[in-house]
Amino acid sequence: MAMAAALRREGRRLAQPINALQSHTSLISQDQAPHGARSISTQIVRNRMKSVKNIQKITKAMKMVAASKLRAVQTRAENSRGLWQPFTALLGDNPSADVKKSVIVTISSDKGLCGGINSTSVKISRVLHKLNSGPDRVTKYVILGEKAKAQLVRDSKKDIELSLTELQKNPLNYTQVSVLADDILKNVEYDALRVVFNKFHSVVSFLPTVSTVLSPEAIEKEAEAGGKLGELDSYEIEGGETKSEILQNLAEFQFSCVMYNAVLENACSEQGARMSAMDSSSRNAGEMLDRLTLTYNRTRQASITTELIEIISGASALTG
Amino acid sequence: MTLNLCVLTPNRIVWDSEVKEIILPTNSGQIGVLPNHAPIAAAVDIGILRIRLKDQWLTMALMGGFARINNNEITVLVNDAEKGSDIDPQEAQETLKIAEANLNKAEGKRQKIEANLALRRARTRVEAINVIS
Repeated sequence: MAMAAALRREGRRLAQPINALQSHTSLISQDQAPHGARSISTQIVRNRMKSVKNIQKITKAMKMVAASKLRAVQTRAENSRGLWQPFTALLGDNPSADVKKSVIVTISSDKGLCGGINSTSVKISRVLHKLNSGPDRVTKYVILGEKAKAQLVRDSKKDIELSLTELQKNPLNYTQVSVLADDILKNVEYDALRVVFNKFHSVVSFLPTVSTVLSPEAIEKEAEAGGKLGELDSYEIEGGETKSEILQNLAEFQFSCVMYNAVLENACSEQGARMSAMDSSSRNAGEMLDRLTLTYNRTRQASITTELIEIISGASALTG
Repeated sequence: MTLNLCVLTPNRIVWDSEVKEIILPTNSGQIGVLPNHAPIAAAVDIGILRIRLKDQWLTMALMGGFARINNNEITVLVNDAEKGSDIDPQEAQETLKIAEANLNKAEGKRQKIEANLALRRARTRVEAINVIS
């Protein structure tokens, strides 16, 4: 700070003689001043062009990075879908199950600049929260990722049970996610877990998706009520002391698999969204640069033309 | 009358084709599955899955999970799975030794349980190789 102040002082001291010099020269030639003003405005445009060009370089680089990250995570997300499907076949997805305690697991990214994927998942979570809360029904949030946390903290801080960030610091793997799922299961009470994430369809389309994981008790209740889960009763349950013990294990395993899939899908969507956002912003920067170049050249041309006219008319006045 | 087996882990599909018979390690002992088995949902233990193709038996080391049998479709969902033929014997033996050493060193209940599980996993992998040879 002291350094900056010293510099400023130095500058002021230097500036005065320059000003004095200019006022001195302005006495000699009057037409220097408008010429100077013109050159300043082109200077500004030139600076702006330079900064736009730099920004375009940055967004282009970010797009490349996102594209290569997307390729890496896409294959893994596609592979993880296989594990999640059999669970849906066995236990079904019961978004409409009527339960007392729901927990909404919102998955978002830690970094921004990736289009609207975080705000869509937050929006869906809010809707779910509203749908599932009532006089004797409680809904809580569990948040993954910095961005959804920042948005949800504002208006529903009291409903946030748990928030976890910096999941994507090292590459996502199943062990890490299952530890995380275990953490969530240990720390919150639930009848149904609703995982909100962006399902990756293609580089430009993501579907906000909710997958529901019911607690063992809720599964049993739904199975007795019949419907989709009624099929579960036709299975013989093998390999444990009691049926509920197996169901407990099954629900936990299902949750960690659903989480693994959801986290990967969301990471995939994030990279895709970032890629298209960066693509459009580098295109915008290009357009802006084109416009600026046009203005710059036009001004330059205009100033040259005026100067030429001045010279020619001066010369003709001398000869004439 | 054909029996289809599908072994899935979070990272990949390990097996997806027709088999004649399998022996599945569940928490309450091994169960053999032939075509037209009754629908069953079972908790899978850490253990060896034996697969019969015609007259040839294959092994696979499973690291715990679930199995569902329905309509001659077997779906096995596990934390991790490795084919016996894919495991490096030397590496597996070394891991087993390390796991044994860790169990002796382990202190406290949690560490003991974890070391025990690691030992069981390592032992399963070694067994999965030795069955073939």
